Amino acid sequence: MRYTLLPALILAAGAAQAHFGMIIPEDAMIAQEDGRGVDLTLSFSHPFEEAGMTLEAPVSVSVTHDGETTDLTGALTPAEVMGDAGFALTLDLPRPGSYVLAMEPQPYWEPAEDAFIIHYTKTYVGAYGVDDGWDAMVGMPVEILPLDRPYGLWEGNIFRGQVLRDGEPVPFAEVEVEHYNQAGVPAPSELMITQTIVADGDGVFSYAPPGDGWWGFAALMEADYTLDHEGSAKGVELGAVLWVHFEAFGE
Amino acid sequence: MKRLALALILSAGAALAHQLTVFAFVEDGDVVVETRFSSGRVPVEGTVRVLDATEALVLETTLAEDGTARFPLDPGVASDGLTIVVETGEGHDNYWILTPQDIAGGRE
Repeated sequence: MRYTLLPALILAAGAAQAHFGMIIPEDAMIAQEDGRGVDLTLSFSHPFEEAGMTLEAPVSVSVTHDGETTDLTGALTPAEVMGDAGFALTLDLPRPGSYVLAMEPQPYWEPAEDAFIIHYTKTYVGAYGVDDGWDAMVGMPVEILPLDRPYGLWEGNIFRGQVLRDGEPVPFAEVEVEHYNQAGVPAPSELMITQTIVADGDGVFSYAPPGDGWWGFAALMEADYTLDHEGSAKGVELGAVLWVHFEAFGE
Repeated sequence: MKRLALALILSAGAALAHQLTVFAFVEDGDVVVETRFSSGRVPVEGTVRVLDATEALVLETTLAEDGTARFPLDPGVASDGLTIVVETGEGHDNYWILTPQDIAGGRE
């Protein structure tokens, strides 16, 4: 009980904060009555604490629908997300089916870890009651293949994904799980801010969220290359990030 | 309000496995209707009813064997939008509303 009363700032001072690339649509399922598009925000944040960080202009943002990929990088507009610099985008949804949003950010230099972080981030939007393409991949270097449709899930449903690197499964990949805590749910321990699970030998992980809303899955791997930082070669953490929305049951 | 009532009636009938989905758009001066079941199959027959903004029936036609229908857009009756209702029997009904913006966009 004592820990649940700790102010968020004290928790934030701990070392348990996880960075997450984020693409968050205003809704993961769009009905025809909702219009013909959806607004999204893109950020690099600490989602449980709703603490923003600066997201530099991404290398690329794209949407894939029905096998076609369209570059949206030029359509981004600056926006404040969780109190810090991010981007916004309105995505047109001209036809039914699944739309896969993907972002490759610039490498983020993290002094505390003496390494760069690159979170290849994606999410799925289903339009007009048709779920074709819900398992479409976009070909990022590291990517999570959804094994369950990544929208239209109830809270508490088990969600499964397969961690892939260059298209191949990553055995026993480590996956961090974090809730975009828009309701301000208190964490009884800083260990509850980011949960860590390990995939099986085929790179398959599963998770059942205890509540509705957006949940992020970040499979973290070390790159087989380095990047230069002030004349020194530094390691690079690659993240395959997937955001999935779970719906409240009974509301 | 009439549209809401229509939607509620149709959604009550459509809440079945293998739900029918309906999508329509304007192309080259025609309204194109596409239908399919959630299983991925397309209905091989069905009735298409086109209602204007006052819910008045302006056209009735049938689906082709590929689950589509195509008919000329009549700007005179479509100015305030059209509702495309498809019925394939056994409660497999659904609809798509072509808004004035959809129609204007398709005619650009």
